Amino acid sequence: MPSGPAAYPISQHVLDNGLRVLVSPDHGAPVVAVNLWYDVGSRDEEAGRTGFAHLFEHVMFQGSANVASGAHIGLLQAAGASVNATTWFDRTNYFETLPVGGLDLALWLEADRMGSLLDALTEDNLNTQREVVKEEKRQRYDNVPYGDVMQRLNSLTFPADHPYGHTTIGSMADLDAASLADAHAFFARHYMPNNAVLSVVGDVEVDDALARVERYFGGLARGDAPPHPPRDVLGPLTGTEREETSADVPAEAVYLAWRLPARGTRAFDALDLFFGVLGHGQTSRLHKALVRDAEVAESAGAASTGLIGGNSFGYAYARARGGEDLAAVEEALVAQIDRLEAEGPTDTELKRAKAQYERHWLHELSRVDSRADALGEYATLEGDPELVNTRMAEVDAVTPDDVASAVEEWFGSDRRATLLYRKAA
Amino acid sequence: MSTPSTSGPSGRSGWHAAPQPDVAAPGAWSFPEPVVSTLGNGIELVCFDLPGQQVVSAHLVLDTPLNGEERELEGVATIASRTLDEGTRNHPGEEFAEVLETEGAGFGIEVSLSGVQAVLDVPVSHLEQAFALFSEAVTQPEIADADVARHVQIRLAQIEQASANSAQLASTAFRESVFDPDSRASRMSGGEAESVARVDGASARRFHAERFGPAGASLVLAGDFGGLDPQELAERWFGGWANDAQVRTPQEVAAPAPRRQVVLHRPGAVQADVRYGGFGIDRLDPRWPAASVATYAMGGAFLSRLNAVLREEKGYTYGVRMSLTPLRTAGSFAIGGSFRTDVLADSVRLARELADVRERPFTAAEVADAVTYSTGISPLRYATADGVADQAAVNRLVGLGDDYVTRNLAELRAVTPEAATEAYTSLIDVDALTLVVVGDADVIADPLRELGFDDLEVVRPEG
Repeated sequence: MPSGPAAYPISQHVLDNGLRVLVSPDHGAPVVAVNLWYDVGSRDEEAGRTGFAHLFEHVMFQGSANVASGAHIGLLQAAGASVNATTWFDRTNYFETLPVGGLDLALWLEADRMGSLLDALTEDNLNTQREVVKEEKRQRYDNVPYGDVMQRLNSLTFPADHPYGHTTIGSMADLDAASLADAHAFFARHYMPNNAVLSVVGDVEVDDALARVERYFGGLARGDAPPHPPRDVLGPLTGTEREETSADVPAEAVYLAWRLPARGTRAFDALDLFFGVLGHGQTSRLHKALVRDAEVAESAGAASTGLIGGNSFGYAYARARGGEDLAAVEEALVAQIDRLEAEGPTDTELKRAKAQYERHWLHELSRVDSRADALGEYATLEGDPELVNTRMAEVDAVTPDDVASAVEEWFGSDRRATLLYRKAA
Repeated sequence: MSTPSTSGPSGRSGWHAAPQPDVAAPGAWSFPEPVVSTLGNGIELVCFDLPGQQVVSAHLVLDTPLNGEERELEGVATIASRTLDEGTRNHPGEEFAEVLETEGAGFGIEVSLSGVQAVLDVPVSHLEQAFALFSEAVTQPEIADADVARHVQIRLAQIEQASANSAQLASTAFRESVFDPDSRASRMSGGEAESVARVDGASARRFHAERFGPAGASLVLAGDFGGLDPQELAERWFGGWANDAQVRTPQEVAAPAPRRQVVLHRPGAVQADVRYGGFGIDRLDPRWPAASVATYAMGGAFLSRLNAVLREEKGYTYGVRMSLTPLRTAGSFAIGGSFRTDVLADSVRLARELADVRERPFTAAEVADAVTYSTGISPLRYATADGVADQAAVNRLVGLGDDYVTRNLAELRAVTPEAATEAYTSLIDVDALTLVVVGDADVIADPLRELGFDDLEVVRPEG
């Protein structure tokens, strides 16, 4: 594998209130990316309050002591920023990228809501955002074919009370049940400088950027850092879970799911490459066998999702070509899985999976905004933003033996959960 | 919406914020300037040297407007293009993709009404090897019968998937309703089911043989080339490409269709997808800068007139947008979003009210915000090799010129509130817009008629 670009400079600091700050100068363009990772995701939600971390992400745009409702995005867009936020199992992140002359505004806005969100939060704007989130759920999950697949696979892969037993969007009933008091409690519990990582990447100097961060965030008080759910490791599935559902979908489909080891481990990296060989791209085993050769599927693939709380998640799927019997498609899928498990990836396949990883990784780091996000991600979840500079070498170092032993421990068609998605009669 | 207090006890700690900081004027920025030259066979070579961009992006832009497809075989451009990497003379069958992916390269195609692009993204360390394969895929593909047949089936399945998706169905139906049926623009770029089903190996190979060639083609290369000479590389792998049989078709001028109001019935749908708009302009229309400023203020910004009411005040939708969709000549515009079924009619009523600016012209503040936004996001949008190459390719496909981005930003800065309002009203007559709704007609059709959409058609699924 060729050497990547020179290492990105990363300057790490911790404010007195516990806020971790990462500054990485890049003078390629007169822009700066500001990215704030809060260490709270759907895995931190309590029973009966699913979807809360994500609902709260919306609430964070409803104003704070010095910012009117909706003005956070309004002010930043008017300064030339692209702005957004996302919620996932392991995180909630807030970010904006803008001409560097707007850095102070971005920091001020982020600090104001970290310090004083509850001053502005009312029953009214909570209710409105609850409706917006319910529309988001309808638009992205309930009103699209196969929209509930991820929720079903999660439920099959993890126990209902497991941190990963439900998806970030949550349930309508829980969203309806969220009260203003819940919102206050959630903020008080999770939103504080010592539960966050702030990354600043772009056309800045380290000392100057730090001074600005200190000016806006330094006055925030430390809170009691929340405990996270235990990172107990669950073993592989036993292979007995099966579910069948039907809906108005254009093609029948079969999905298989696995429990995998947590990210940040050699075993996960090995399995991530293995899933790439199995189902990523047109040279993958599944595409070649099911789509190209046997022509029983219109599409087929596999992927893994790296998570930090004890286990990750992997899945494979095939969507049946018209008229194909779904049982036969499942059989063909399982046959490829058994074969790859038995013989392991060839050297060329492993090399190819690494080469594809390299391109995606270099591309990810080529923009200041996604680089800032990667810094926050590795600092928050794995405790070390320098991993951004060493990841490629780590992945490159995965050997066929690593893959074989990870597969032996975690993978196999007898350790899967199965979801059959049929057309409604 | 609530008005937060400007002082008062904090939730946690007696938070005292600094005063709201000013925003310093953005630094100067302009779109990178390429080095443009011509290969031996006439292909235009467009090179952007972008230090630090380790993933090189190559776009081969072909002058193959889709109005050059035979009507009976529409979709053949897409099928032929999708088959390019299914095997070449030197690397038959799946061997081609295997060697290409082993180089860490990604190969893709983009088909738009103005032409086809073949795209390669690859770490510069693998550029040399991957570029040879890129050239093979474009100039010597096998396009085997079996591969074409499979891609036809996959495309037909995609069409089915798209029509099962409310938002995609709404967009397709809107395009069909806004453009005259004689315009290629009225139908999907990838072809409709009926014509796609007719495509076979022979017709796909013929399309490649007649339409792929150096005449009118451009090769865009962007990235950090390290020690490589992109000019030499391009000449070596594309400079010798010839096609005496190449046929070219002039780009069509899209034409409008009469106004239409229609509900596509989806029984029991929990939301309805709306497209509310009409026939529009392209980027070379003198009104373009002012119209894009106005559209941003109406439905582009988060606090746009539409989103501030329909999302932030009412909670009717996850988001509503108004956008301009330019073609090479003419285009369309639409207000679009998904709305809860029981508030659909009220959403359309409010959208129609808000979209009417005759009594509420655009303000200086709205115009200023739109201009700063467009100016501010450009450096990020064009920060990567693929971002730059993609825009340079579009500049060629629709005839904009290499200075388009920089020129457009300068023109935006000159837009006045009066010009924004004038451009908007010259394009958008709220009483004459086409309305396409995909949703539960049993619930939404009557309330829409009560709003005055008297000619509303309801299309029910067959069976």
